[in-house]
Amino acid sequence: MKTSDYLKAGWLAFALVLAFVIGWELYWRSQGFELSYNDDESLWAFTRKRIYNTTPARPVIIGSSRVKFDIDQTQWEQQTGQTPVQLALVGTSPRPVLTDLANDPDFKGTLLVGVVEGLFFSGDGSPMEIEAKKRIDVYPKWSLSQQASFYLNQHLESNLLFLDEERFSLNSLLKRLPIESRAGVFVFPNFPIRMGYTKPNRQTIFSKAFVADTAVQHGVQYVWSYLGMLSNKKGVGGDTLSGIIQSVKVNVDKIRARGGNVLFLKMPVSDPALAAEQVSFPRKEYWDRLLSETGSQGIHFADYPELSKYVCPDWSHLAPADTKPFTADLIRIIEEKTHWTLQKSPTSNHPKQ
Amino acid sequence: MVFNSYTFVLFFVLLLVLHNLPFSWKTKKINLLLASYLFYALWNPPFILLLWLSTVVDYLMARKIAESEDKLRRKLWLAISLILNLGMLSYFKYGGFLLENFTAMLNGMGIAYQAAKPDIVLPVGISFYTFVTLSYTIDVYRRKFAPEPSFLNFALFVTYFPHLVAGPIVRPEDLIPQFKTPRKATSEQMVWGLFLLTLGLFLKVVIADGWMSEPANFIFGLPFPVNPLDAWSAVLAFSAQIFCDFGGYSTCAIGVSLCLGFTLPENFRYPYAAIGFSDFWRRWHITLSTWLRDYLYIPLGGNKSGSFRTYVNLMITMLLGGLWHGASWNFVIWGGLHGIFLCVERLFRGWKKKSKPMVAEEIIIQATLIPVRNKNLGNFLLALLTFLLVNITWVFFRAPDFSQAMKMLLCMFGVISQGPKMLSTPDMLKIALVTIGLLGFHWSMRDKSVKGLFMRLPWWFSGTAWAMMLILIILTQKSTSSFIYFQF
Repeated sequence: MKTSDYLKAGWLAFALVLAFVIGWELYWRSQGFELSYNDDESLWAFTRKRIYNTTPARPVIIGSSRVKFDIDQTQWEQQTGQTPVQLALVGTSPRPVLTDLANDPDFKGTLLVGVVEGLFFSGDGSPMEIEAKKRIDVYPKWSLSQQASFYLNQHLESNLLFLDEERFSLNSLLKRLPIESRAGVFVFPNFPIRMGYTKPNRQTIFSKAFVADTAVQHGVQYVWSYLGMLSNKKGVGGDTLSGIIQSVKVNVDKIRARGGNVLFLKMPVSDPALAAEQVSFPRKEYWDRLLSETGSQGIHFADYPELSKYVCPDWSHLAPADTKPFTADLIRIIEEKTHWTLQKSPTSNHPKQ
Repeated sequence: MVFNSYTFVLFFVLLLVLHNLPFSWKTKKINLLLASYLFYALWNPPFILLLWLSTVVDYLMARKIAESEDKLRRKLWLAISLILNLGMLSYFKYGGFLLENFTAMLNGMGIAYQAAKPDIVLPVGISFYTFVTLSYTIDVYRRKFAPEPSFLNFALFVTYFPHLVAGPIVRPEDLIPQFKTPRKATSEQMVWGLFLLTLGLFLKVVIADGWMSEPANFIFGLPFPVNPLDAWSAVLAFSAQIFCDFGGYSTCAIGVSLCLGFTLPENFRYPYAAIGFSDFWRRWHITLSTWLRDYLYIPLGGNKSGSFRTYVNLMITMLLGGLWHGASWNFVIWGGLHGIFLCVERLFRGWKKKSKPMVAEEIIIQATLIPVRNKNLGNFLLALLTFLLVNITWVFFRAPDFSQAMKMLLCMFGVISQGPKMLSTPDMLKIALVTIGLLGFHWSMRDKSVKGLFMRLPWWFSGTAWAMMLILIILTQKSTSSFIYFQF
């Protein structure tokens, strides 16, 4: 090969890649997808850095997907003038994050803890804990180089739809191929590709396609059924449950001892998932016991008509149109229950429905 | 900073621009040195002090060694360099391990002792740059060459970012002469360097991180035994992952360096086509194996002090080579297994040499044996056997502890056969595809080079293959994950 051929090969590669990137981006745009940000270790670590100087109006939120979907951060900001710090992790137990914050001597703020019993009361070493711990482990090692890459990546992700690892990466697309797996192997099911998207503030939102298309909603419901959301199997009990609650109490006490606040939240859930939850995790044995033994306050959606009037389209999370009024009512109820000051001017700012 | 990150792309583009501006050669070298410090500091800035300390002390000690004619003094200056470098390495890398074993030993003797857990962070690349600087002072001590008069050249030799954190482990004669005269990549070097960078990133991002890490991490992380097929699949996945991760890094390093006009030594030569373990170590992490040969095996006596001593020297070299990879008994076992395989191979070769028939007998045997033994097939089967044994050693390399490694081996060989099936069919297919592809490619390229292949193919074919790799990198979207060898 001559030198000129080296250059020709290089220019051809460049031209083909450029054509592919433009075509790939245009293709996904033409399919009507919303721009989504990768909710990865870096975005979590970036958000984790903001936990200091939090106040009741600017709380840290930990939990699972329900607080991530249901608390509308734009609405929160509109009413309080402050943006909450969203640290909830989809499909995980918030207890490792609670431990992490309790062990951080500089965290003295307000913490809202979303409780999904099946995840929250999972035993030590469960996959729900391991997944959460992965993020926590990355945070102290988040190097300057990774931080710089994160900022560059954010700019690219703001402009390029296809840079969404969860939906459009090679592995994600390969996982969606209709290949039967070996009998007896548990394969994590795929959520519909049009289910939702994530904003840079880590808020997750159902897509327009999800809201409009019941087939997509059924696709999500199928995943929940497959993962056992409708199971009536009794949750952990005995010493395991006592140990979990005790560990939560220890962490809550640490935060309170530094002047911080902790409030537990039980977000809306609809039948048939609600019915299954009530059998598996009876309120008295789990939620009520958690609050009494940790000496904490909590807001259970079922106690408030304003919070329990919604129907979750996938049984587990609120529709985008409902998250704003839900958040507005939640802020008011938190104020009434805790006497914390959250709103800039109370009673105002309730969104029009 | 890792090669598979946006930060590196920006850093590299800026550096290429700077390196091609009409500055003096000295200014360009200062730019390269500062860029290398930045490259390193973006992990953990305080550790740059260790790098400076090592650089300054070795520069001074080498000069003193060269200036002195007194044997004792020369030994003293060398000892200072060795104590500093090996002391830092021992403290940061083996401090916790030594304390843990000391505590276990006392407890084993019935002395109740509980040491506070040391909170030591391992500086990235310390094992690599320690070996780089050690080779310099030892070679000056041996009067192999005179010490480098220019501190800038020496500092750049130690710190030059492409090799700094994960090799190739360069020797002074590889790099220092290249800093003496102005260098700039030719357009051919630039294109070839970029191609190598793409190839390295393809191996790392697509194969190692995108396809192989998930099944390997999943199975090796399970607290219970698995089905034999799943256990084998996980080991094969790791086998591909470790090659693509480390081979990918070396390929990136060589490519990046070439774009700046400097050549780095080859570090991998299709290791999974190795016929036997001595061949494997001529193909796997070549710069480490040659370093261990020149600075450990030969000084121990090599193969010049009798047969028994040769085996002892081989075992010592491989056990220490294993320990170099990490402070854990599993790495020692890994090195020990390689040492045993090397000894067995040496014994076998010695026995074969002795029992070799006389020339006339050989001709008679060849004439009467129909068909004549197919040497190529035989070699291929030997390469497969080597690959199989290498995979067994990888179990100790990857498993978090000894019990997990033994559990995996028991599953692999069917002693525990009732474990559940865990890997999905697409994962198994990916592992099978990558393993067959890797073995096939290594075997077919055994005595060839990628550059030779690139040059033989028509430019449009090479360009299209290059574009395919780039597209797969972009599609995989797995950026900024660290390279496995950084932890060593």
